[in-house]
Amino acid sequence: MNVAEFLAEARAAGRRYLCEDEVKEILGKVGIPVTPCLLAHNEEEAVERAGELGYPVVLKVRSPLIAHKSDTGGVALNLVDSQQVRLAYREIMARARATDPAAAVTVQPMAPLGREMIVGVTTDRQFGPVLMCGLGGVFTEILGDVSFRLVPVNPGVARNMIRSLRGYRLLAGYRGAPPADEEALVNILVKVSDLVASYPQIQEMDLNPVVVYDRGALVLDARLVLAG
Amino acid sequence: MSGNKLEVLNGIFYPRSVAVVGVTGSSDRVGYNLLQSLIYSGFQGKIYPIHPRLESLQGLPVYRSLEEVPGPVDVAVIGVNQFATVEVVEQCGKKGVKGVICVAGGFREMGPAGKALEERLIAVARQYNMEVVGPNTLGLINTRANLNATFYPLRLPRGKVSFVSQSGGVGLTILQKAVDEGLGINKWVGVGNRSTLELSDYLEYLARDDSTAVIGVFVEGTDDARRLVQVAGEVARRKPVVFYKVGRSDAVNFAALTHTGSMAGSYQMYKQILQQFGLLVVESALEMVAACKALAMAPIPRGNGVGVVTHTAGPSIVLLDEAGLRGGVFPPFAESTMERIKGVLGQNPPVVLKNPLDAAGQGMQAATFGRLVEAVLDDPRIDLLVAAYCLHLNWRCPTSELLAAQKQSSKPVVALYISTQEQVREEREILHSRDIPVYITPEEAAWGVSALLHYALQRGGISR
Repeated sequence: MNVAEFLAEARAAGRRYLCEDEVKEILGKVGIPVTPCLLAHNEEEAVERAGELGYPVVLKVRSPLIAHKSDTGGVALNLVDSQQVRLAYREIMARARATDPAAAVTVQPMAPLGREMIVGVTTDRQFGPVLMCGLGGVFTEILGDVSFRLVPVNPGVARNMIRSLRGYRLLAGYRGAPPADEEALVNILVKVSDLVASYPQIQEMDLNPVVVYDRGALVLDARLVLAG
Repeated sequence: MSGNKLEVLNGIFYPRSVAVVGVTGSSDRVGYNLLQSLIYSGFQGKIYPIHPRLESLQGLPVYRSLEEVPGPVDVAVIGVNQFATVEVVEQCGKKGVKGVICVAGGFREMGPAGKALEERLIAVARQYNMEVVGPNTLGLINTRANLNATFYPLRLPRGKVSFVSQSGGVGLTILQKAVDEGLGINKWVGVGNRSTLELSDYLEYLARDDSTAVIGVFVEGTDDARRLVQVAGEVARRKPVVFYKVGRSDAVNFAALTHTGSMAGSYQMYKQILQQFGLLVVESALEMVAACKALAMAPIPRGNGVGVVTHTAGPSIVLLDEAGLRGGVFPPFAESTMERIKGVLGQNPPVVLKNPLDAAGQGMQAATFGRLVEAVLDDPRIDLLVAAYCLHLNWRCPTSELLAAQKQSSKPVVALYISTQEQVREEREILHSRDIPVYITPEEAAWGVSALLHYALQRGGISR
């Protein structure tokens, strides 16, 4: 299935909110690096997927009704063996079933630490699709250190939007920390921009966090909302 | 924009005949002032006041209706209330009027009933191929045609700067401040509710208007922001465009909605997207005027290297602060420049020889000041010079020295004469006539300098 078919199918099913594994599949198709995100419908499957990926792993609730996974206790990080996976599975499902009896989980490898960024798309009433980039966590939420550009953006504009962040030095390297792979982030921004420019039915996207390493970058979590 | 829209807009800015509907004998009323503005600004075309009973108004014969006007009417200025406005616009259509300026408020900014009324207005305009300035606007000015089609009678000096404003009051603020600063006006329009003419339409028109060299835009919020920034970015390649956007606080959204029928939107997003398209964004009406003034008077520098000559340090520190934050750099002088400065001030003057160059007591002498200006202006790393001088009862301003120095150079010179507007008027007239903008506060001088540097860098100037 290509991206257009994927989006059309979700639309046909009356869904506006795509789950993480679906969004990551779309991102993967357009060449945006994502962590693997394997679906598991029961405890045994969860353990099997974890075995395939290798430990440590992450378990996340998978439901179109639960948008904010970690707020509702739907995420378990750094599970080192099958015992922990089983336990985490039961705990996540116990919480999720009340909201969505059809909830499942995704199993993902535990990604190494890096510099956390956020990349987003919002459809502004006045501008249409606008690309957003910011430093993750408190920098975005409390300091509002984000930059906006009208879609489409080219690599030059994407670079400029990263460098205009007040906290840019955290990426560029400071106090002996090596610079992060800025070009890997530029690449993600341009590809996200191209994606929403090609598919105007995408109303909102949220890649959070995007972890930028000394070499390369990875999207650890993502959500997508289609236009109503 | 369609060729037709452009043509109609040109007809609105340069009408041969203007009808005024809703005019009365009372100067308390908007209609009276619409008529007076036309007369007071010296409009040379035909003026037709319309009133069902009166015989004459302000020395002009009055016509019973548009129908009775003997010749064609290019533009109708309509000062009646919102309900009557729609009727009058229909009559205009039948008369063959191409542009109507609708002053009345009470349309989409007033909720669903007003919105329905505005939709009727738009439908009538479409039916007759007319364009509407407003509604809910002060009107429009074109000094090139001695045309003031607003209800504020004004006589404005002619110049190269045009303004497009989403607010009458802020538009007037900018206009009055510009006049106070000795800046000539070309065209001015209050866009109001933008029924058929968007901000971007006026921008496209002004881009093609040869007499407009610089465009200032005041925006609250607009539904086609995407087209606005794309058009403005395109225009800014040919002539500088300066944006002043309000709406930094959330409270503004509702105020803007009830003002011109559009939400203000996110300020941060707006500002960054304007900058993405290479546009200069200013933070106040004062900065708008300071920026437009420099851009209208001085040439665009080749790079962003600023040199400062002064006899008082404080203002140059303000300059460093304001212009430094907006892309200006203050390079150290070349060795040859230092030698020339020492030649003027002596080998061991009691001042630190650096950029900004504070010559202290010696700089108060116009002749010495002028020689320093010449030396700094010649420095290869300096693209623009600011001369900061405090006016004094007994000491002559270095005006003739600045003119002489500038004559031998292609670089822009900005004068900061710390003074009152009144005291500096004569010096200012001379300098302005020779492309040297004069400011009386260091902040405004810095804003003017920053505007020049912005467009220097936008046009591929040297980043020092």
